[in-house]
Amino acid sequence: MAQLLNDDIIKQIREVFEGLANPVHIMFFGSKTGCDYCDDTRQLVEEVAAVSDLISINIYDIEADADLAAKYNVDKAPGVVIAAKEGEQITDFGVRLAGIPSGHEFTSLIQDILLVSNRDSGLNPQTREFLKGLDKPVLLQVFVTPT
Amino acid sequence: MIQAEMVEATEFPELSMRHNVSGVPQTTINDGMAHVVGAVPEPNLLAEIQRVLTK
Repeated sequence: MAQLLNDDIIKQIREVFEGLANPVHIMFFGSKTGCDYCDDTRQLVEEVAAVSDLISINIYDIEADADLAAKYNVDKAPGVVIAAKEGEQITDFGVRLAGIPSGHEFTSLIQDILLVSNRDSGLNPQTREFLKGLDKPVLLQVFVTPT
Repeated sequence: MIQAEMVEATEFPELSMRHNVSGVPQTTINDGMAHVVGAVPEPNLLAEIQRVLTK
């Protein structure tokens, strides 16, 4: 398949990724059935991951790797987990994408990687305080459309 | 404990319909306990989450 990201975009991403502080691990979950955008999404995140040595990526199948998908609460394909990595240790920061991050959402993908790499949410003190004391699960789903 | 997911609505029409997604972005909290349509300032999102958790 032809490269999805052109050299200009790669150059811009490379510049942005110079700000990456710590390793990031991407887990991609595809499906062989009824996933129109799985191939493109997989290729997209692979191309992004290739820009920096600080980003590693593993490709999984939501059916074949059902246990892992369940562990990371991935129930839709294409599903992307953006996690922190220290040596061999993966730490889940709860960041997920479902569906292809195209258009404006591509910027979100890049920003998500930066966020996890910096290990800092950038949130207000009040929000941080609340989240520290959170003892019940919270699921936020932001529905977007391709722009 | 907290997970945030971007969901591309056109690829998941059943889920989008279940949550009555019409305008985007739509932020759905805890599988439909609350919805916020449009850009959400951080304090507003915090308040909505707190509200859902006390229901």
